Amino acid sequence: MDERPITFAEAINEALKQSMMKDPEVILLGENVTSSWRPTTKGLLEEFGRERVRDTPISETAFIGAGIGASILSMRPVVELMLVDFGLVAMDQILNQLAKTHYMSGGAVKTPLTIRASYGGGTSSGATHSESLYSLFAHMPGIKVVVPSNPFDAKGLLLSCIRNDDPEIFMEHRLLYDLKGHVPAEDYVLPLGEAKVVQEGDDVTVFTIGRMVHEAIQAAQELKDKVSVEVIDARTVVPLDEKALISSIEKTGRLVVVDEDYERCGFCAEVTAIAANKAFEYLKAPILRVASPNVPIPYNPTLEKRYLPNRDKIVSAIKSVARYA
Amino acid sequence: MVEGAKVKNEKLLEIYRTMVRIRTFEKATRELIKKGVIPTRMGFYTGQEAVAAGVCAVLKETDQIGSTHRPLGHLIAKGCDLKKLMSEICGKETGFNKGKAGPYHIFDPSVGALGANGIVGGSVPMVLGYALAHQLRGDGGVAVAFFGEGASNQGGVLESMNLASVWNLPLIFVCENSSPDVQTMLGHKINYPQISVDKISSRALGFGMPGDTYEGWDVMKVYRAAFEAVERARSGSGPTLLEFKVHQLTGNIEGSLEFFEDESMWDPIRRFRRELMFKGALNEEEDRWIRTSEELKVKEAVEYAIGSPEPNVEEALRGVFVEE
Ligand SMILES: Cc1ncc(C[n+]2csc(CCOP(=O)(O)OP(=O)(O)O)c2C)c(N)n1
Repeated sequence: MDERPITFAEAINEALKQSMMKDPEVILLGENVTSSWRPTTKGLLEEFGRERVRDTPISETAFIGAGIGASILSMRPVVELMLVDFGLVAMDQILNQLAKTHYMSGGAVKTPLTIRASYGGGTSSGATHSESLYSLFAHMPGIKVVVPSNPFDAKGLLLSCIRNDDPEIFMEHRLLYDLKGHVPAEDYVLPLGEAKVVQEGDDVTVFTIGRMVHEAIQAAQELKDKVSVEVIDARTVVPLDEKALISSIEKTGRLVVVDEDYERCGFCAEVTAIAANKAFEYLKAPILRVASPNVPIPYNPTLEKRYLPNRDKIVSAIKSVARYA
Repeated sequence: MVEGAKVKNEKLLEIYRTMVRIRTFEKATRELIKKGVIPTRMGFYTGQEAVAAGVCAVLKETDQIGSTHRPLGHLIAKGCDLKKLMSEICGKETGFNKGKAGPYHIFDPSVGALGANGIVGGSVPMVLGYALAHQLRGDGGVAVAFFGEGASNQGGVLESMNLASVWNLPLIFVCENSSPDVQTMLGHKINYPQISVDKISSRALGFGMPGDTYEGWDVMKVYRAAFEAVERARSGSGPTLLEFKVHQLTGNIEGSLEFFEDESMWDPIRRFRRELMFKGALNEEEDRWIRTSEELKVKEAVEYAIGSPEPNVEEALRGVFVEE
């Protein structure tokens, strides 16, 4: 395959472009999606025209609803949220309508919509501009939740989301947009629900997702002479790759779950529960969570740094569980 | 008050001073962003000063406002302390909200400045509640909801117009339409229109309240329209929708420090200064004095903010609930 290093944003752009080229029923809706300073959607208007690439009013309920409706008539809409926090304005459409319609209709109606949303802290943007929130969507049965950590996954997973018959929320960490990685130029899809072992190890499993994968890799590097750490990128919260989780715990016997979302009732809690239920006999140490505290995100950069999960917090969690023989 | 009635020179100069204060404060804020002292980007109000200053000149400290992602004009016009304001934007312990809010979430209840808001349209429904409290207490207070033309399309904003009208609340909806000629969003020329009518104020009819559109670069027009709407609200006659056309002078988010010459025709400060001088209400020397003294105040605020301590890092984890 023809591979070249491109950015996370360019990988997303390429997925959108290739899906729109192949399928005229793929459309893109969102605020300022045709703006030339937005790298993920750059050039799409010029190539596909304003009927398919349209700027919406600031009416998240209405344009997400429009996306759901068009998807019910089997179009393939991609709706963009500037930030995931803004999706909270449209919770009825996302959590009542989008998530439940397929089930409630007894399978008579499908909603193959993809919502793209950028997310994440680290830019001192304050409490309504920095959240992760994927656990909130994962909580509601009926939406697949996809959180890529690198350009290769971003492209393959997004193409998968767009072509898949189910609704997804596809989450893009704003600090990853400039990250470069090798990405095939061809069209390819990656399955939803398959985690990836990004670093093999024997002593401690670090199960994580999104931007935190990079912090976990750095933590593992830092400890490389002391603890052999296995880092697993879940890639999707729903479906969750339980097999990958359990088989890694079988090997290491110790688990640290790392996640940028709020700790309570979130990704960390879910992974921990699965491990406790299904890998209990392999566990040698308590399971530790490294997540955002159950507190809104502070504006001040020093406070935000204190607040966010990071390499140092992961290192100390790994050290704690490694102490158990 | 009717069109053409006399407004005292003192009041005019107070309004002018507020406009100069906002402009000066924002310029200093831009400089601090450039220097990296302020750790974020934010929305600015430059070019819209007449709206905040004209509307808030009619309000009392006991009235409330809800603001937006361009909050500095509204907050300053409502009387927020400049030192605490600059400290908050710099993320300092001495800020209104201990450095936890930042520019998009500042609240100063002491002067009724109930909130900058990071969610477009997010402040508007809450303003209903400020107005409801005044109505139920019978204290004659009013509340003002500031929002942009983009926000005017949020469900929550439209729902609020209906509720304010059916409950006959003492509330003034102030829509600042920053793209009155060409429809734009955050400076980007959008490829589909977001507004289907010429005047956003024409929506008032559908909600059963009065509404009209005014030139927001002419502060006397703003003041007069606001005066009438506030009188109406205070006397129990219900809400009004005011639309003010404005031009954001220095770009949307950060913009540059200087603005382009061809924008100056929309500059509300330049325009008002000329008017005041023509009236004989202001001369060159007085103008210089106003500018210098406002610059001094802003400089003091900047120094105060820079000299203020960082919040204790553990503050990051405190304050979710009242009782912890
Ligand atoms: C619910 C929500 N959607 C989107 C945004 C991102 N956003 C911030 S400002 C803005 C434009 C607001 O336009 P308008 O209300 O007209 O105010 P203006 O910027 O013109 O003053 C957008 C889309 C947001 N903050 N909140």
